[in-house]
Amino acid sequence: MMARYLIRRLLMGVTTIFVTTIAVTLLIHLVPGDPVQIMYAQSQGTTPEQLEAIRDRLGLNDPLPLQYLSFLGRLLEGDLGQTIRGQQPVLELLLERLPNTLALAGAAMVLAVAIGLPIGFLAAYRRGSWVDSTLMIAAIAGVSVPHFWLGLVLMFVFAVNLGWLPVAGTGPANLILPAITLGLSNAAIVARMTRSSMIDVMSQDFVRTAHAKGLPKAMILNAHVMRAGLVPIVTMMGLQFTYMMGGAIVVENIFAWNGIGRLAIDAIFQRDYPLIQGFILVFATTVVIVSLLIDLAYALLDPRIRRSA
Amino acid sequence: MTTLPRLRLCLAGALALGTALPAAAQDNEIVWARYGDIDTLDPHRATSTLSLQVWSLIYDTLMATDESGAPVPNLATSYEVSEDGTEYTFTLAEGVTCHDGTPLDAQDVKYTVDRAFDDAEPSVTQSSWGPVTSAEVIDPLTVKLTLGSPFVALIPFLADSFSSIICDSNAEAEGFGSSVAIGSGPWKLESWTRGDRISLAAFDDYVNHGKLSANPGRPYMDRLTIVTVPEAQARLAGLRTGEIHVAEPPLDDVSALQSGDEIDIVVAENTGQNVFWEFANRAPFDDVRLRQAVAHATDVDTALMLIYGDLSIPEQCPISRGVFGNDQEFCAQHRPQYDPERARELLAEAGYGPSNPLETNLLVWTGGKRDRLAEVFQAQLAEVGINAQIEMMDIGTMNARVRQENEREDGKASMDMMTWSWYDPDILYALWHTPGAYRGFTSPELDAMLEKTRVTSGDARDAAVRDVMAYLLENAIHVPLYTPGWEWVFAIRSEVEGFKVAPFVYPIFSDVRIGD
Repeated sequence: MMARYLIRRLLMGVTTIFVTTIAVTLLIHLVPGDPVQIMYAQSQGTTPEQLEAIRDRLGLNDPLPLQYLSFLGRLLEGDLGQTIRGQQPVLELLLERLPNTLALAGAAMVLAVAIGLPIGFLAAYRRGSWVDSTLMIAAIAGVSVPHFWLGLVLMFVFAVNLGWLPVAGTGPANLILPAITLGLSNAAIVARMTRSSMIDVMSQDFVRTAHAKGLPKAMILNAHVMRAGLVPIVTMMGLQFTYMMGGAIVVENIFAWNGIGRLAIDAIFQRDYPLIQGFILVFATTVVIVSLLIDLAYALLDPRIRRSA
Repeated sequence: MTTLPRLRLCLAGALALGTALPAAAQDNEIVWARYGDIDTLDPHRATSTLSLQVWSLIYDTLMATDESGAPVPNLATSYEVSEDGTEYTFTLAEGVTCHDGTPLDAQDVKYTVDRAFDDAEPSVTQSSWGPVTSAEVIDPLTVKLTLGSPFVALIPFLADSFSSIICDSNAEAEGFGSSVAIGSGPWKLESWTRGDRISLAAFDDYVNHGKLSANPGRPYMDRLTIVTVPEAQARLAGLRTGEIHVAEPPLDDVSALQSGDEIDIVVAENTGQNVFWEFANRAPFDDVRLRQAVAHATDVDTALMLIYGDLSIPEQCPISRGVFGNDQEFCAQHRPQYDPERARELLAEAGYGPSNPLETNLLVWTGGKRDRLAEVFQAQLAEVGINAQIEMMDIGTMNARVRQENEREDGKASMDMMTWSWYDPDILYALWHTPGAYRGFTSPELDAMLEKTRVTSGDARDAAVRDVMAYLLENAIHVPLYTPGWEWVFAIRSEVEGFKVAPFVYPIFSDVRIGD
């Protein structure tokens, strides 16, 4: 049963990536701007004939279906081509930087869960009290703070004024500030989500039954409420993780964290078609893999999913 | 709580991924932060200023520039030009070594030129070399370049880092351009972490033959690290903590920094950067009166004072200070000057007035406070009855868009605040000789004048360039506004001594020392 469930999920993932490859080829051609002209923008002497020859070499003059097929062919060989600016290998460039973004999003996620989960749980437990309202107001504030502002404030306090942490760059100590910036607002989301999920579960019949059986409160919370309440939270965390990879773009820029998001922004501004294509593909693949892992965790946490599949 | 331990593992993995970095600069290391990274280490594969600046540190060039921007001998101690201007024979300095220990000789020059003209993969700036047909090794220290026709812009080109001499040992090296770059410049490449940092070390055997530094040899500092920090406020923060020594500051903070004593400001001169009005070559701006009206309506002095203070200055010529042929006085006589009354007259003659204002788009490159400058210009244009609608865009998009606007048959009027930087008046040939880089204004008489600038030299060339400039200015085709205009302000920590910027925005680190 479990295997069928996983195979179905896997096939869906592969289909998603396949559809992405088509979208990626089309999308590029909907955007105005000629990459070859941009590439040679600062070399004014280049003749139109030379530009045409380069367009030919890059296959930009081929009919669209042909461009797609050759793109797919090279993709299967693990070749995503070279960047237009600087002719660096696209896949290598992306894979060099993907771990940095995963590390940032991962660290931020851990922080978000470590802060958000207990707060949400506490708020749910003390529902309606002043503790609940205070925590939830703080959470709303947390969600509303823009990354850009929070990032600069943290930088000025902890790096410039206190001198505890480095300002910008990529390295273990450099991870802390961007991870906090990204993690805090997400902690707020996790807290709110946890609270509503737990409240939902606490009012269910099986919890009332557990109370009626005379089980100790701690045991009810641990064994019954927590287990059932976690399922929607795990789903949400999967979404949050991919959302955070998107949010990482802003944070990466502020802290000069050498991630894939910053690379993507540059690629878009420079209309570096092969790099944009590569980015979307790598990003989509990462999202698919994360979703698969979440589905797997889901099945492990909730026996009903295992059986119903 | 089954998920937590797993996520903790994840964090441990994440921390292990980052490479260990010093939080603050090490001893005898200088850290230079820029908003973006190089595109490649291969001088034949990119054109960005960010790339050029780094190549100029790793590689050396046959010629160099003096403080005024004029070419002077460097790796080539002298050169001779044949009577007909088609043969250049260079004598190379003795005892120059490449970073891998091999001697730099005529063979390396030939390798570089042949590579730039490679049929399969020519240099992206191949045409800037001019009509070079062959490079010939006469003896180890003599090399001859043969041209199909005279091309006087060759010598200034050989002073620019586009012509960096690439040691021929790169041919066998795996990863040239990405992980390997063997040059003969003052700094040798240790590593390049793309998007993050370029680590350079002083090259012990470097001898300065003509570059603009007082230091005759090896740089004083042991290491130069060039890091990418896109956010200007982060660069400033890094300067304050000492993590960074040199960086482009947020322009809004410059005056505050100048009044403090922690950070000094260095403004590059003779950058060759030219910011100018140009117009889509169709109705209504095919009417010279309207182009002149825009020029007459623009009060550059006031606008610059409001936005940049004294960081930038008005420029009268289509080629900026530092470039051969630039002459403020001459250009001022030909450029339509600020005169709103005259602008109104011209507009009225062309059929525009208060009840029928001229509607136009105004394309502007994002960044460098150009958005606010454009707003001032917009207000000035509105004064005389021109309604300009500002559109901000990235320079790449703008280049494509300007060409599109020129190629359109009709539509709303379009003008743009274009930005160019080049080391020679040959830029005017590229911009305005048929077909024109942007497919904009061209004319047979202008073509003839431009062709003359390529084959004459000395005073004759000066006169030819003047003719071109006068034509462009009087017809308000290329209306110069100011110089410099981008990436020209450097903030340095006050303990950094000896930092300077050579013409065309090449920072020099050979003389840098860190004091107390």
